[in-house]
Amino acid sequence: MASFGEKAAAGTGTWVDDRLGSANFVRRSLNKVFPDHWSFMLGEVALYSFIMLLLTGTYLSLFFEGSSKEVLYDGSYTPLKGIPMTAAYASTLDISFDVRGGLVMRQMHHWAALLFMAAIVVHLARVFFTGAFRKPRELNWVMGVGLFVLGLVEGFAGYSLPDDLLSGTGLRIAYSIALSTPVVGTWAAFLVFGGEYPGGHIIERLYPIHILLVPGIILAIISVHMGLVWYQKHTQFASPGRTEHNVVGSRFFPAMMTKMAGFNMMVFGVIALLGGLAQINPIWLYGPYDPSQVSAGSQPDWYIGFLDGSTRLMPNWEVRALGHTLSPNVIVPTQLLPGVIFTLLALYPFLEAKLTGDKGYHNILDRPRDKPVRTAIGTMCITFYVVLLIAGGNDIIASIFHLSINEITYTLRTALFVLPPLVYLLTKRICLSLQHADDDLLHHGIESGTIRRLPSGEFVEETLPLPPQYAVLLETTPERKELVAHNAHRLEGSPLAVEAKPKGFFRPRGGKDGQKELES
Amino acid sequence: MTSTRSRLSGYAVVVLALALLGGLYTAFLAPKPKAEDPANQSVAVKEGRQLYLQGCSTCHGLNNQGGAGGPSLIGVGASAVVFQVESGRMPLARGAAQAPRKTVKYDRTQVDQLAAYIQSLGGGPELPAGKLDDGELALGGDLFRTNCSSCHNFAGVGGALTRAKYAPPLTAASARVIYAAMQSGPENMPRFSDNTLTPTEKRAITRYVRFTTSESKNPGGAGLGRYGPVPEGLVAFLVGMGLLIVVTLWIGARA
Amino acid sequence: MSDSIRDRLKATGEDVDPAAPVSHGEHPVGDPTESTHHSYHAELDEQSAKRAELAVASLFMLAVVGTVGFIATFVFWPNEFGKHLYEFYTPLLGGFMALALLGLGAGAILWAKTLMKDEETVQERHLLSSADEDKQGAAAIIKEGAADAGLGRYPILRRSFLLANGALGVLAVPFLFGLGRFQFKEAAMAKTGWHKGSRLLDELGRPVKLGDLEVGGVKSVFPDVAGGRHMADSAVLLIRMRPDVLHVRESRKDWVVDGHIAYSVICTHLGCPVKLYEQQTHHLFCPCHQSTFDAANGAKVLFGPAARSLPQLAIQVDDEGYFVAQGDFNEPVGPSYWERKPHYKDEVK
Repeated sequence: MASFGEKAAAGTGTWVDDRLGSANFVRRSLNKVFPDHWSFMLGEVALYSFIMLLLTGTYLSLFFEGSSKEVLYDGSYTPLKGIPMTAAYASTLDISFDVRGGLVMRQMHHWAALLFMAAIVVHLARVFFTGAFRKPRELNWVMGVGLFVLGLVEGFAGYSLPDDLLSGTGLRIAYSIALSTPVVGTWAAFLVFGGEYPGGHIIERLYPIHILLVPGIILAIISVHMGLVWYQKHTQFASPGRTEHNVVGSRFFPAMMTKMAGFNMMVFGVIALLGGLAQINPIWLYGPYDPSQVSAGSQPDWYIGFLDGSTRLMPNWEVRALGHTLSPNVIVPTQLLPGVIFTLLALYPFLEAKLTGDKGYHNILDRPRDKPVRTAIGTMCITFYVVLLIAGGNDIIASIFHLSINEITYTLRTALFVLPPLVYLLTKRICLSLQHADDDLLHHGIESGTIRRLPSGEFVEETLPLPPQYAVLLETTPERKELVAHNAHRLEGSPLAVEAKPKGFFRPRGGKDGQKELES
Repeated sequence: MTSTRSRLSGYAVVVLALALLGGLYTAFLAPKPKAEDPANQSVAVKEGRQLYLQGCSTCHGLNNQGGAGGPSLIGVGASAVVFQVESGRMPLARGAAQAPRKTVKYDRTQVDQLAAYIQSLGGGPELPAGKLDDGELALGGDLFRTNCSSCHNFAGVGGALTRAKYAPPLTAASARVIYAAMQSGPENMPRFSDNTLTPTEKRAITRYVRFTTSESKNPGGAGLGRYGPVPEGLVAFLVGMGLLIVVTLWIGARA
Repeated sequence: MSDSIRDRLKATGEDVDPAAPVSHGEHPVGDPTESTHHSYHAELDEQSAKRAELAVASLFMLAVVGTVGFIATFVFWPNEFGKHLYEFYTPLLGGFMALALLGLGAGAILWAKTLMKDEETVQERHLLSSADEDKQGAAAIIKEGAADAGLGRYPILRRSFLLANGALGVLAVPFLFGLGRFQFKEAAMAKTGWHKGSRLLDELGRPVKLGDLEVGGVKSVFPDVAGGRHMADSAVLLIRMRPDVLHVRESRKDWVVDGHIAYSVICTHLGCPVKLYEQQTHHLFCPCHQSTFDAANGAKVLFGPAARSLPQLAIQVDDEGYFVAQGDFNEPVGPSYWERKPHYKDEVK
């Protein structure tokens, strides 16, 4: 006899299905198989961070005043008592000191933003190095790049809302960047700011952009992004049993769903940990924004850092002729560079497909070593990006290590162009060597540890061919496929074969149970 | 018609009243002389001269004329001495882009003696009497952000100048050292005379610096050095993503 | 497929389900991940199941402990600024929240890993591109419908339709202009709050007298107009240096007074205030992108991405000994823009 719970569930299910026809969807969804490599969860970090941003952001919006009206501070943070400031700044102080739990919410919100962008970058790198952006997933890649750019804009708008000295300096810089645009710069800057700087409106405009417009767009794109992963099914690494035409992994219900929900809580937990234990954006120390004040060591949040770095490294080229001024010293590092970077990034799947002539579907992921050019391009670009990031903090480095900031700048300028090609060559070499090592293993087999002495006096180590169930992991090129087949043939009847285990670099799927079977 | 006695008594009352007034004034309102009485002052100067000859003359010259090792100290004032010596920058151990703070070699009395000696050579700015950090916190903060934060950073943790010079962190600086720095404008720091920043303003700034660097807590948790977004970004990656990647490895591992 | 497996599949309806566990021997190379058991987590015996259940349960209990701690801290711990131990309020809140969330999360993950079957399952991928009849059907519907709509057949209709759409697209544009006061005028850019005779006021509104600054001293000054303290383009730094180190070109000889010189602090690169003055080197250093200007030489650029020197404010001393401006700057202050003229009178390149 069915229990009360089972009857209630059945009753509800029928009620819903009668109206929505949901049983089919439920069945397919709960039964869906997801591959479960750890690196497939990096995008989820971004997703859960975004959810945390929505939750904490909603709370903050109940207390924050997005207004540039001037008030005299009268809250409990005494070092600013009586100081004139905008209502935006004052309300942020109130959240930090006069709303119970306000500061932890503010900090969780800001840490979640940093984590959101960090997770996007790591996830992007994973997708890139494994070639998961190839057909049929190019659209998802483009949407991902779009989410990256929107995240930058959203973060910048968000940390500019409190109108503190640090972020206000950033707004001043943003205005000047807009100003530098040829022909339309002054019109664009005046339009956005409502007149000559400071304009008096920018906070009021950033506020609805930050809490409504951009989050809405991001939410919509995330939904499509994830919907596509759901519909097209996730990619997977090469492994026994995995082909281009199947998905091997865990069923969604109950295991995968539970793990995902658990991971969601873990991401929330890490954000809460950071939000409570690590102070971030202490606006009360920065002070309210004043166009005549500034702090040494002013940087934007990390994800804008590469633009700060490019701006610091750029030589001071300016052209003044024919009645006008053109400023490559500003336009190149702040507009041209990100424009080129994000365009190339978005177009990469199509560029690679064109250059390799590869028009096929790919559901099996590449190991980075098996695509040395792509991997080398990736590490080269990461090097370029990291040099720019470091350049963004050049004065902090100079200040902590008592180095000359001028020398640091010259060094990084050189490094920016010298290091990436070196890294490219190095990476390519490493990938090719790793491929050689794999080929060696396939050709010569595993060292068995048994040394034999030949009649001629030579010592030689006996090797065993790589058992096919492991060799199939290396089955990434046609030549290797042949070798695997050859090895399978050679192994027939060999009692040693099943005991042999390859060294080091990959674990056979199966863990303890699988290994027990092999050893028996 | 007044009698002689009543006239005399009138004078007596006036003299008495004046004496009383004068006595009260002297007791309560007269400004205390800055220096000790001349006898003590000259002792300090004499002691200071001895200390100078022992520890400073090698570079600054036996007659304070300066030399290859250091400039002349005539006219730099007591504040300069308080700043340099009480922060341990002087005596200089070796040449560098800028004199670094290191172990203080002289105690407070000796610093004051050296300062008195140098002050006697040609005057110069000297510390006022009374509490130096007895100023208004909010005013101090505003003045700090206008005059100081562009070099020393919003929280006084220091910043970079050109060619390996730096504006040092203010955490270790006492109220005397802070005040003296503003007055004397050491090395590349500008000089803020008492007409540029009045004593009230200097006290306010000193109060703000002392509060921010030594008394203020970090209500949000660990301060991460108060350097701003740079360490925050590092923590987001190393701690945030690091922890979560460890978690994903745990989730992804089978059996 | 073994009988026991088939029976199990039938019982749960999985025999007709696209997702089904792979059985032995079907894979060409013999899957080493398959064991004689159906799952990785072998049918758990009572003892290990119990242990696992307790482990998961204790993690879940952390969520309760964390919540209790959180609520207690929230309500009772002092959070007023300056109160004893107030600085632990946020860390405790965050810590308890983290405990609760991590407990729930870790518990859920451990539950899935140790107590759920979680077999490795195989599912077929469906071909993404549609069947030919679908593709042809879609194309046919579109063609037929488009022909019916008649855009191809009625040229006047088509053209007027495009015109109407274009017009409506343009209709949205004027709303942008409502963002207001956006009209750029070069005159506005070239004007600051400084005018002839305007006294130099410090940040507290007091005028600055000749003699207030010592050699090596600086003062942040603002124009003597309403709101001058907060005008974004009018902040100036008054510097005093020894007259013999100050090199002033002929055309600006009367812009300085006895070694006192005044520069706009709005960086010509991107607008940050350039207040960092090195007394001995006479460098002005912008903290944002490290542009360096030589204050003893017309604030010429020595290093960094700024391309123009800082504009200098011509000053003199009035009858009462206070510093006054001789007029506005000779060029627009701050960063460059398209309409900025290549040359201004008396400029220092």
